[in-house]
Amino acid sequence: MTIYEPQLARINKVERMTDTERFLEIELLSGKSLGHKPGQFVETSVFGVGEAPFCVSSPPSELPTFQLCVRMVGNVTTALGNKNPGDEIGIRGPFGKGFELQHFRGKDLLFVAGGLGLVPLRSLIWSVLNSRKNYGKVYILYGAKRPRELLFRDELKNWEERDDVEYHSTVDMGDENWQGNVGVITTLFPQIQFDPVATQVVVVGPPIMYRFVIRELRNRHVPEENIWVSLERKMKCGVGKCGHCQINNIYVCQDGPVFNYKKIKDLPEAI
Amino acid sequence: MVSKRDFLALIDGKIREGEEVVAPVKQETQANFKRIKSTEDILWGGPQTVVAPKDLLFPQIDELIEFETGPEIKITPMVEGKPKVLLGIHACDMNGTSLLDNVFAEKNVDEHYFKKRELLTMIGVDCLVPCTPESFCYRKESVLPWEGFDLYLTDMGSRFFVEIGSEKGASLISGIAKDATRSDIAKLKTMRRKRDRVFDKKQRKLKPKLKDLPKLLKENYDSKVWEEHGAKCFSCGSCNMVCPTCYCFDVRDCVELNLKQGARSRFWDSCMLTDFTRIASGEIFREDRGARLRHRNSRKDWYLFEKWGKSFCTGCGRCGKACLTKIVDPLDIANELYERRKG
Repeated sequence: MTIYEPQLARINKVERMTDTERFLEIELLSGKSLGHKPGQFVETSVFGVGEAPFCVSSPPSELPTFQLCVRMVGNVTTALGNKNPGDEIGIRGPFGKGFELQHFRGKDLLFVAGGLGLVPLRSLIWSVLNSRKNYGKVYILYGAKRPRELLFRDELKNWEERDDVEYHSTVDMGDENWQGNVGVITTLFPQIQFDPVATQVVVVGPPIMYRFVIRELRNRHVPEENIWVSLERKMKCGVGKCGHCQINNIYVCQDGPVFNYKKIKDLPEAI
Repeated sequence: MVSKRDFLALIDGKIREGEEVVAPVKQETQANFKRIKSTEDILWGGPQTVVAPKDLLFPQIDELIEFETGPEIKITPMVEGKPKVLLGIHACDMNGTSLLDNVFAEKNVDEHYFKKRELLTMIGVDCLVPCTPESFCYRKESVLPWEGFDLYLTDMGSRFFVEIGSEKGASLISGIAKDATRSDIAKLKTMRRKRDRVFDKKQRKLKPKLKDLPKLLKENYDSKVWEEHGAKCFSCGSCNMVCPTCYCFDVRDCVELNLKQGARSRFWDSCMLTDFTRIASGEIFREDRGARLRHRNSRKDWYLFEKWGKSFCTGCGRCGKACLTKIVDPLDIANELYERRKG
């Protein structure tokens, strides 16, 4: 295998999640597990269209299957979203640095997801919830633009109903049926009481969100090293060569996409 | 030492046998690397070729895989190369190649590059006068090759003084080379001392110390120089295209008209273009031209310099020459940052 040669995989399931998002279950034809960590990404090929990076949305598993969620906005994402069960695609990876569960074990955890940020976070959230007793309190804050853009609704309901998770959501703009909070994600912070020093905070969302959420966390005296982020860039090759994902002197595809905030806060191009 | 006549006859023999020999040749008023039919075509010395010879190892379009779609997908990796001789290249480009060797070998070995690299014989030629007014190789300690070459020739009239950089190079000239005498070596040293004086006099000065460039770029990250130069930048990407060490690439799929077969290739890309950092959502992470210019310069003289211990600008001067508005030259930028530095 060369570093640019994908392995073949089959799409088992394509679900319509919202108007633009599709949920895909993918199986590697090798029969082997992908072997990813939460937060890592794969380069996904639709042959003849191209290749694009996606964070894996499912928690690590022994099975040869894993899940992606794609927003149909570009060439590859649209082609992927239009695939049918049984269609074959290519996979390279997993690539990059994911979340290390050892940093979180025994600690309180606050997950802050904005929009598609829930997709990679879901892998980490379920890794935690699947061995719930290893962790302290768990808070999940999730924001989307509109109610119809909320992802993984069955799971959101599950988190809302569980006693061992404190879940809050918000939308930027409500609709006639929306009873919940309206406002940007930082408006949810007054609703939770968390211990800033004992809590590890994981923030994943659109580029604009980090600045505001991190300012809010710092105002609440969360130490820099307790904050974790996953940054989105154009990871074209995935192997640290093509140069597209560079933030100052680091390569997101090699050194990230998951970073401790303290490591990147002084990089002017990061956040 | 080899006699010029013997050496050129050896190369002409290779050409007749069908070996691909690439060398700088004159093209109208400029020069370019081309496959030659005879050593008579070779342009020794200046002017510098417009584009560096990196495409021999990292072609402008390089197939990575071929694929067949249809009911079953078939993927064939395309790791291809054939023996080639690159003759008459200058030290700046040999050093550029040795820098590319590092980055393509790092962590994930790029077989597409190294397949071609292993099959390439690199024969350089010593520059005794600056090849263009834009070059500043002497300021980047890049007048002589560092490593990675097979042979290095210095013109001594009817003979070449040959420095051997590899076993491949040694075996190539084993039949025609004689050991250099003490007086040959003394002559070489004298020539190089004289050359250094000429280069020092003729090439533009680098005001900061070479080793201080990473620090200079770091400390002047917010300098107005970026904004001012960026305002004049056309974002044409010419500086990236001609550079011996720019290696960023895009990857694209191309399909045949029957929509059943296709190839995925990498294409030279340019960090100076707006879309370089654009993601599917439309976000562009380096939208400002000045920021892109700063990124290009920081890669050459800070990020990669710090990482590999060598500046990724070998002073060939091509970008400064190719730049339409004359804002990209790394030596000019370093000097301007230095003169206008804080504190």
